[in-house]
Amino acid sequence: MQQININNALPAVFAGREPEPSQVWQCQLTFQRGKRYLIVADSGTGKSSLCSYIYGYRRDYSGIIDFDGTDTRMLSIPQWCELRKQSLAYLPQEMRLFPELTALENVWLKNQLTNHKTREEIENLFEVMGIADKLHSPVARLSIGQQQRVAIVRTLCQPADFFILDEPVSHLDADNNKIVAGLFADAAAQMGAAIVVTSVGNHLALNYDVELKL
Amino acid sequence: MKNLLWKLLRKHISPAQLIGFSIANLVGLTIVILAVQFYNDVKPVFNDDESFIRKDYIVITRTVTGVGAMMGNSSEFDDAAIADIEAQPWCRKVGRFTNSEFSIYATVGLGDSGRAMRSQFFFEAIPTDFIDVADADWEFDPAHPEVPVIVSRDYLSLYNFGFAATQGLPRISEGQVGNIPLAFTFSGNGINEVMPGRIVGFSNRLNTVIVPEEFMKWANQRYGNGGNGNPLRLIIEVNSPGDVKIEQYMADHRYDVAGDKNQSSKASYFLTVIVSIVIAVGIVISLLSFFVLMLSIYLLLQKNTQRLRDLLLLGYSPAQVSRSYVIMVLAINGAVLILAIVLMLIARAHYLPMLEAFELPRVSVLPAIITGFVIMALITIGNIIAIRRKVASLWLLTK
Repeated sequence: MQQININNALPAVFAGREPEPSQVWQCQLTFQRGKRYLIVADSGTGKSSLCSYIYGYRRDYSGIIDFDGTDTRMLSIPQWCELRKQSLAYLPQEMRLFPELTALENVWLKNQLTNHKTREEIENLFEVMGIADKLHSPVARLSIGQQQRVAIVRTLCQPADFFILDEPVSHLDADNNKIVAGLFADAAAQMGAAIVVTSVGNHLALNYDVELKL
Repeated sequence: MKNLLWKLLRKHISPAQLIGFSIANLVGLTIVILAVQFYNDVKPVFNDDESFIRKDYIVITRTVTGVGAMMGNSSEFDDAAIADIEAQPWCRKVGRFTNSEFSIYATVGLGDSGRAMRSQFFFEAIPTDFIDVADADWEFDPAHPEVPVIVSRDYLSLYNFGFAATQGLPRISEGQVGNIPLAFTFSGNGINEVMPGRIVGFSNRLNTVIVPEEFMKWANQRYGNGGNGNPLRLIIEVNSPGDVKIEQYMADHRYDVAGDKNQSSKASYFLTVIVSIVIAVGIVISLLSFFVLMLSIYLLLQKNTQRLRDLLLLGYSPAQVSRSYVIMVLAINGAVLILAIVLMLIARAHYLPMLEAFELPRVSVLPAIITGFVIMALITIGNIIAIRRKVASLWLLTK
């Protein structure tokens, strides 16, 4: 997948409202493979909605979002499943980990679908993130910052054309922010993938090609 | 880290609900297949011993009334009447009795005593498929004339227990009958001929003396006037004897139904009705249990909605996510089916000795097992479709 085009999209809940100045909603916008995008947003401006539209689990918007010219509304469920395994790596803001599974099991649940990393590589990532001792702890017992790092490891366990990271470092300190930024930068460089990051304030510490205001 | 999916999705499974479903379904399914098996086991009681495939026949005549007799030929069945019977939904096949149109004397030699019995006689013929004597030598060849006849089993009883006993004559077994020297004298059209005859079998169904149709045709041409008259009696193969519609029809048309076949037919009709009711009850129980399982699964999926959604977001397909539950349903339903079959076989082992007196043929249990299998397959398919649809409905998050 080379590009994601957003044409005149607007969340259904915003319809009929006084249009607020936005560089995304009701605009022509293209995310190009290999580039880095930062979407800066205030709360309630539809940041997570945008991610869910691109990731295909919500359709409550007007306008068209297309992948290389294919309207995403036309994609079948098997096609979406393939995209989610091969092209779109998504880190949801709410992380969506399974609290009853251990940190490693949560990551493995994704990795067994993609076979993208070996167990050693995953353990290494835990090491780098400073949560190696939490590998076998149930996620329910991890702090929110630790959970965020588990979710980040999971997002890295797949091939991708686009990393869509919804507030990836909202619960991390500056040091961890840098580590995470480095990991995503490396992964993206390796696969030629784009990184699309949203942020309400604590930006992922990368150099961005494009910065947009939502 | 195998089966992470199951580890996640088995949450909220309620063993109590599943056990409730299993017991209810087990009861329902057992009732159904036991009823089917019992029906198959008992059905031969109501059948003729000699009919290999279950069929039911009735023999009808027109009611002879004073008025009718004066009107002339009213005791015959004309083509229109036969066509009307053939058009009835309960009728499978109609056979015409052909009567002999010439005079017949039978002479029976009675063993070594040198005595012989001579009596005026009559023949009837019907199409071979209506005859309930198997393997009879049922051919007639004018070149080597010997007339095979089938007589009602009642005649033998009449002779053995009524006649022979009081007249000091030897009793005859069915096996010996073929050896009795029998001669028929036919006369008509100025011809007078004697032919040997042989009793080749006894019929429970036909209360008359039957000869092969080809002989009758030949003899009616030779001694009579061609045998083209309308039949006086008809034999009808029916779907379900004892059907009220048949009785109604016969009464409306003033036809008499011969024999007591109808009695056992009525009993067999009631057996069918009762078994149908029992099967219906079993199916209702099975259906209710099906809904219990449905509810249980819906509840389970409802409680696991978030987990299922999150798995779909990771890239798991609805089919992959459903698989755990589908396997669960298959396992439960498979176990219930096997248990139901075992229970049916145990119950059967208990009631079969009670039926021994009837000397019933061994009936296969396959139809009952297939019935159980089909019902269970339908229930399982219903469950699986429900699971698939429910999971698929989680694909999109609607706000």
